[in-house]
Amino acid sequence: MATLNLKQVEKTYANGYKAIHGINLEISDGEFAVLVGPSGCGKSTLLRMIAGLETISDGEISIGDRVVNTVAPADRDIAMVFQNYALYPHMSNYANMAYGLKNRGYNKDEIDRRVREAGTILQLTELLDRKPRQLSGGQRQRVAMGRAIVREPKAFLFDEPLSNLDAKLRVDMRLEIKNLQQRLGTTSVYVTHDQVEAMTLADRLIVMNGGVAEQIGSPIDIYNTPATRFVAGFIGSPSMNFLDGRVSNDRSHVVLTDGTRLALDHNVAENRDVVVGVRPEHLSITTPTESSIAAKVRITESLGAETLVYLTFGSKNEAITLRMQGTHTYAAGDELTLYSNPSQIHLFDQASGRRI
Amino acid sequence: MKRVQFGHSPVPYLFVAPQIIIIAIFFLWPAAQAVHQSFLLEDAFGMSSQFVWFRNFEDVLSSPSWLKSAGFTVVFSTLVAVLSIAISLFLAVRADEVIRGAKVYKTLLMWGYAVAPPVAGLLGIMLFNPLMGDLYILFNKMGLDFNHIQNGNDATFVVVLIAVWKQVSVNFIFFLSGLQGIPKSVTEAATLDCKSPERRFWTITFPLLAPTTFFLMVINLTYAFFETFGIIDVSTKGAPGGATATLVYKVYVDGFLGADMGGSSAQSVLLMIMVSVLTVFQFRFIERKVHY
Repeated sequence: MATLNLKQVEKTYANGYKAIHGINLEISDGEFAVLVGPSGCGKSTLLRMIAGLETISDGEISIGDRVVNTVAPADRDIAMVFQNYALYPHMSNYANMAYGLKNRGYNKDEIDRRVREAGTILQLTELLDRKPRQLSGGQRQRVAMGRAIVREPKAFLFDEPLSNLDAKLRVDMRLEIKNLQQRLGTTSVYVTHDQVEAMTLADRLIVMNGGVAEQIGSPIDIYNTPATRFVAGFIGSPSMNFLDGRVSNDRSHVVLTDGTRLALDHNVAENRDVVVGVRPEHLSITTPTESSIAAKVRITESLGAETLVYLTFGSKNEAITLRMQGTHTYAAGDELTLYSNPSQIHLFDQASGRRI
Repeated sequence: MKRVQFGHSPVPYLFVAPQIIIIAIFFLWPAAQAVHQSFLLEDAFGMSSQFVWFRNFEDVLSSPSWLKSAGFTVVFSTLVAVLSIAISLFLAVRADEVIRGAKVYKTLLMWGYAVAPPVAGLLGIMLFNPLMGDLYILFNKMGLDFNHIQNGNDATFVVVLIAVWKQVSVNFIFFLSGLQGIPKSVTEAATLDCKSPERRFWTITFPLLAPTTFFLMVINLTYAFFETFGIIDVSTKGAPGGATATLVYKVYVDGFLGADMGGSSAQSVLLMIMVSVLTVFQFRFIERKVHY
């Protein structure tokens, strides 16, 4: 177990494409860090750089107190779990787990003890003699985790380990991974594009976009105070609503494109062009007031416990999503009046996307 | 057991008919002819024949030249199969690692595939021509006293070299696609589990290529047995003194040049039996061990 330190880490490919633009990150001992972002944001590249599967173009990565930039992957004392399991198909599950230990010169008894122990933890005891192809997807991923656990490494690296599983299994495995990590207390870095996975697993969330860490923080902090418009839109499902607007002269309101005025309690310069962000779950239906939005229903999705209403607003047909508890039915074209508490309104700079 | 019953439509038979006809005309019929003829003793002009039971087989099996040819075939086939598999595996692994200009390497290495065996044989005798062959001159300048016209071992070297060169490109294609069929993440997982690249090759890559290797072994042995005919016919013609005549080549020489149809047929029946036994052996005892 160890801390993981990234200092100004950069990755430039041979063709000149810059995948990672100087990332600084300190993951403390036993912490569960999750890298989340859309495809192509560089999250997997960063993980692979920590693993040693990609070279580091600039900056420094250290595991524990050791800089590992030029250390071979096998010597970095990390273990990785891959999206497609990456088990050795010609070996039994037992041999799959034992392989890394065998190559590191552990004696047979020690290997056997560790593999059996991991087998018990992951409920694989009955399956150890079988080959990977005889297992289901979930079981294979457990073997892959077993292969990581037996090594007792300084850090676990997870590269979208649940993406190949079906929805139900994904939820179960997510809990299992969380349990396991808390029980073993091993520093972990987890890459995913699924923001639910990210929110539920992370002690610390790193939201990446275009090779840059847009925001680093606890999942709840990021949800409550997203640093940029991108983060605000990426974290939370359904996504936050964004409406263009301009701060009024007296700074008490923001004026939307159709002239609707929303009350503010933000400290913001007058006449500034802003993007107003409101989460679907922070909108509610009210009677028309000074500070309400009138929008037309487009589609309603009933999920039982909650209802998602998709609406359009104003002359530019800006999209708004509303999330309500319980079941409600609206017809397309119905007009609803929406309200949000000023404290739950986020403002972003129109040009830079930064939070105001 | 439940059997699926299809209607008795003749259409399916029409679909398989071309294949059946080809097998019947080009394999079953000649094979039957060969078996029949192997029991006959025919005069040199094919005017009369006599049923002689197993005398042709007795003659063949007690003939020193046939035993010599059988010995050569075993040595030749083993050398060709092992060398061409080993060399092409090495080349495929190296070519798979190349990043810059990978396509050029791969295309160049596959080119040999387009060369017909007799053309390969022709290239071979040109390289070993005693007057102007580059390799012949080079070997003799190195003081090797190389003479494939008179020395059986040197002649064997020449035919093995040509046959291997011709086959390497075929094997290379299969190995390369086999290597590319190994998921990248498996190789990467191995990089994290094992530091030594050699050890990784022998414990992960090679076992994963085992089905390909097995397939190529069967293909290469068949190649060495039968398809090298063209190479031998163009390059050494079995010389010196039958030292480079494979069993197939000897069947041709004895039957078509020597006009001993009965003896030649007996040889080809024996060859058929040998190859069948070899193939059955390969599938029964080796195939099971290579699949994962």
